[in-house]
Amino acid sequence: MSFRYPVVMPKMSMTMETGELILYHVKPGDRVSSGDVLFEVMTDKIDMEVEAPTDGVIEQLIGEIGIDIPIGTPVLIMQTDTEVMAFDFGGEAPTIPAPPEAIVEPVVLPEPVIVPEPVVVPEPVIVPEPVRAEVGVKAVPKARIVAAQKGIDLQSVVATGPDNTIMLADVTQIRPSDEIQRRQSANKALIAKGLEMTRLIPQSSFSRTVSTSVDTAALLAAWASVLRSRPELNISPKDGSELSFVGVAVIIESKYGSALPVFKDPDLLGALELSELVSTTTSAAENGKVPLSMLSGATTIVFDLRRYHMSATTPLLFPNQLTSITVGENIDGTQIISLTIDLRYCDFYDGALLLDHLISVL
Amino acid sequence: MSDRMLTMAEALREAMGIAMEERPEVFILGEDIGIYGGAFGVTGDLYHRFSPLRVLDTPISELGIVGAAVGAALSGMRPIVEIQFSDFTAQAMDQIANQAAKIHFMLGGALHVPLVLRTPQGSGTGAAAQHSQNLETWFANVPGLKVVVPSNPADAKGLLLSAIDDPNPVIFLEHKLLYKIPGRDPVPEGAIRIPLGVSKVVRTGKDLTLVATGIMVNKAFEVTEKLEAEGISITLIDPRTISPLDMSPILESVEKTGRLLVVQEGPSHGGFINEVIARVSESSSFGSLIAPIKRLAGMNIPIPYAPQLEKAAVPQVADIEVAARNLVKEWR
Repeated sequence: MSFRYPVVMPKMSMTMETGELILYHVKPGDRVSSGDVLFEVMTDKIDMEVEAPTDGVIEQLIGEIGIDIPIGTPVLIMQTDTEVMAFDFGGEAPTIPAPPEAIVEPVVLPEPVIVPEPVVVPEPVIVPEPVRAEVGVKAVPKARIVAAQKGIDLQSVVATGPDNTIMLADVTQIRPSDEIQRRQSANKALIAKGLEMTRLIPQSSFSRTVSTSVDTAALLAAWASVLRSRPELNISPKDGSELSFVGVAVIIESKYGSALPVFKDPDLLGALELSELVSTTTSAAENGKVPLSMLSGATTIVFDLRRYHMSATTPLLFPNQLTSITVGENIDGTQIISLTIDLRYCDFYDGALLLDHLISVL
Repeated sequence: MSDRMLTMAEALREAMGIAMEERPEVFILGEDIGIYGGAFGVTGDLYHRFSPLRVLDTPISELGIVGAAVGAALSGMRPIVEIQFSDFTAQAMDQIANQAAKIHFMLGGALHVPLVLRTPQGSGTGAAAQHSQNLETWFANVPGLKVVVPSNPADAKGLLLSAIDDPNPVIFLEHKLLYKIPGRDPVPEGAIRIPLGVSKVVRTGKDLTLVATGIMVNKAFEVTEKLEAEGISITLIDPRTISPLDMSPILESVEKTGRLLVVQEGPSHGGFINEVIARVSESSSFGSLIAPIKRLAGMNIPIPYAPQLEKAAVPQVADIEVAARNLVKEWR
């Protein structure tokens, strides 16, 4: 199966809003491989080559040379057989001419290890439409209501009730739609690929069992404040420069797969404000939506296993992350906090101090 | 709590006796209700306990009986009319529907008609088409009448006391087959009233809401016990008063079970149960339905004389059982 895949003007710096298209390296009909340069972009800070995110064929060039193009706007469209991981933008989705639309973050390569930009390749808005009362499909009233709530198209439901009527059980036990299943599998592939690459990174993990319990928001704030005091661990994977903010990504699992919304400077927000932001972002991510502004910029990842009632997982760094924190819960109510570090940036002694520091802040 | 297990006839007699002791303006009139004690023995010894003037044997004229009662009610009395078979109310329908039901409204509320009309109804006695009908829908369709259909002795006593208290005409329809059998619950001593217009939840379950009136409550109860053993739990609701109709426990239950079965003995066409179904359809509980609504009612035919046909013409326990089981098994 082939997908139309828009390659968009990437956001290459925090302040970037538009980029000038300087040069195309491809023309319609060209076959490209993942990593081939597609076009060059100039901004006020940086010039950059934008690479093909995947193998495919160039279908159409949209952007005009010499024109400033807003970030997120398609520059060209390629045909690909590779489904790209799908997150959509909710209300912030840019208007893109032809469906299906997708937006790809630039592939930024950090110096020491070649690792692609994190698993935040956003994609089209696949929000379930509210289902209209479908005349012609026989369904019991409750099944219609549940289908509407879940965004299930009754036309696609197999009726097992008398007289070919859709029963409640037919919509409550339904398998996820093909769309969602495609997103899930693309997502899994991308996560697996990313983690496979990070296995090459020398890394180590430390765990500590604590009796205090903190919610995700408080943990984010505490961890951000610790990293703020360790600027050498809060650096751009692109050029090693210190970042002006602390970005903490949180892994949210849902039926759409993993989403990694990035919270910037969570320690500088009020506790209530942060708590509200975490809660709204989590529920949006569970519906497959991550706001554009929260798609990148993390140097660390928090995985709160307590949401899934797990105590521990095998920790592995995600691409472009120097550290990661997992929190699990034990049956006796105690919590396990684990820190994973990239040993090229941080040694064992440092790592132990870092975990100490975090727990003391908590 | 008393443990007196009375028949419905005994319970009704007790209620009338209490009302006559409480209020001198209460009196009973009808055919063969005095010396004979009533065609079904409901008035029994009341003639002897009170006076022939308060338990009044009348000539065979339903129109005259009800007309006299309406006049007495307008004059400050509280008559209890017994019509020997509900089928005979047809003779008195002008007095019931055009006079008793409407006078209060047509006189701007200046007068009341505190009249109770008790009458037996229903099939199962081999009394054929003119003595076996269920006519609650006739009366429920006349605004100004309240309609009570008791299903057991305890309810019959409490509801009849409330009906006698009521300042408006109340039609009290008693199933003949219930007269001689004791109820499941003891009948409380004394003047305990049961308010009109309050449905009774007979038992509570999670799989099906079963609404039944009169004798069908007994048949339905038997089914709920049998199906409980199969793992099907049923909420059984007896509206008791079909006008005014208390829908709230029915709607609440439908929201929990998602399935509704309604049962009556009278013919399905234009039957009272259709009102229950219509109100569920109009309500916000409609969206809770996970199965089509099922009704069981009498056939749209005059009740046959032949016993086998008479039985086949109205829902029996086995019919209710099959309908209830299928609703739950087929619709998930």
